[in-house]
Amino acid sequence: MSRVLGEHWALPALDDRNRAFFTAGVLSFQQCADCAHVQHPPEDVCEACRSFSFRVFESAGHGRVESVIVVHHPIHPGMAEVVPYAVVSVAVDDVPGVLVTGNVTNRAPDAIAIGDRVEVTFEEVEDPKTEVRLRIPQWRVVPA
Amino acid sequence: MHGAAAIAGIGESTYYERGRSPHTEFQLACIAIRRAVEDAGLELAEIDGFVSYMDARNDPIRLARVLGVRELRWTGSPWSGGGNNSCAAIQAADAAVTAGYARHVVVFRALAQGQFGRFGRSGGGESGYLGGPFAWNAIYGLTTPAQQCALHTARFMHDHGISQEALCEISLACHANAQRNPRALRHGKPLTREAYHASRWIVTPFHLYDCCPENDGAAAAVVTTSERARDLAQRPAAIVAAAQGTGPAFGTYTQATLGSSHYAQVGQHLWEHAGVTAADVDVAQFYENFTGPVLMAMCEMGFAPPEGIEEFVSGGALQGPDARLPFNTSGGNIGEAYIHGFEMINEAVRQIRGTSTCQAPDVERALVVGGPGYSPGSAVLFGAPA
Repeated sequence: MSRVLGEHWALPALDDRNRAFFTAGVLSFQQCADCAHVQHPPEDVCEACRSFSFRVFESAGHGRVESVIVVHHPIHPGMAEVVPYAVVSVAVDDVPGVLVTGNVTNRAPDAIAIGDRVEVTFEEVEDPKTEVRLRIPQWRVVPA
Repeated sequence: MHGAAAIAGIGESTYYERGRSPHTEFQLACIAIRRAVEDAGLELAEIDGFVSYMDARNDPIRLARVLGVRELRWTGSPWSGGGNNSCAAIQAADAAVTAGYARHVVVFRALAQGQFGRFGRSGGGESGYLGGPFAWNAIYGLTTPAQQCALHTARFMHDHGISQEALCEISLACHANAQRNPRALRHGKPLTREAYHASRWIVTPFHLYDCCPENDGAAAAVVTTSERARDLAQRPAAIVAAAQGTGPAFGTYTQATLGSSHYAQVGQHLWEHAGVTAADVDVAQFYENFTGPVLMAMCEMGFAPPEGIEEFVSGGALQGPDARLPFNTSGGNIGEAYIHGFEMINEAVRQIRGTSTCQAPDVERALVVGGPGYSPGSAVLFGAPA
């Protein structure tokens, strides 16, 4: 799948905290290994029980658009041919309280509304420098 | 204690379009500080503290050295974000002089974007990678303050049925009031409702005129005890109360904070400390990097409920000295100059002195609300001297 923001926009610099999210091909979050609390973005410490031990929580990947903007002004030369594009903030059904930022792959920027039901999809990109296969979570609007 | 400290002097450099300053940022800071100290009737040698915010470049040690400070006893810079801390900086100086840790503390902000590059432009990913905290949002093209504030504003407008006209009113008021202020960079450049709506989109729901410009300049104020201020050159603006606040949900993008500006706790603490409410405010300066979050901050500070905020600001209700709520009377970030909100501190002091170019009648209390949308928020209430 081609990238919503074009082939030249920045890729995630992988680290131990974000590797699962951007490579697993499943919508993945940081989960506390002691109390099972799920938090996002990941942190060094569990915000519920102060534990330092974590595992990966795999979400079913269903959610709802909580806010949406359409960006018209390109903030980077590489964005000049990408605008206008939409950014959505998604509440994930099985991870209460959390919002995930993303783009929508199957709707025009001005055809996305707060309240739309979405499901996760993945942009498959090979990092040209590291040759790591990225699976960047994105969203598809689905029938309510 | 209410009003134990006060602002005794204010000063600013000339304000410039971005990149047009003939001076370095540090020189601009020195100009504003010298004028504030002179305005107070003090000598530079008597300054013994410096506070700024989001300003690592204009270091207090450099300032003390070149300005001829005798002894430096207090430095501070509130943590996190940017313009949200404009009033927290006043609070830090208030705490220092009230506790007796310093006698005359200068609070200031200087910006020379021509010298140091554009402010508020971030996460371009020039390396081809975005990591750490930027990975979660910038990978998806959510990188700038305009975009971040737009995401909250879009939800706020959706939840409360607020139209584009409410945002337009904020920009119209800033432009209208700037026409009275010769310092203002929008002086002589009025804005019409038609021109607002015709201006290009930056990011929905923000048109060009929903966004403040980028400018070069500096502004400064001298904080000392009200007792000492009484013997100085100007009518003091008493610091009746200052507050910071946020929580209990921390973070810009959580379900609990989406569509909010982080000012509910600021309002609660400010009014409790001051013993008054929003209804008692005679004139208000609200930090508007973008118009939308001002509406949220007005609601959270208690000026109107979300369902009533559009009516509260409509029909030019914020324009001029006799407005329902005299608002951003110098023109604010949008109309006067974007000095990271510090120009609003100086304008509130002018309102207490009675020297604004858009002077509200009989000002007893002048409010400044720092940058909305980033946490912690901060606000300060100035009052007539006791």
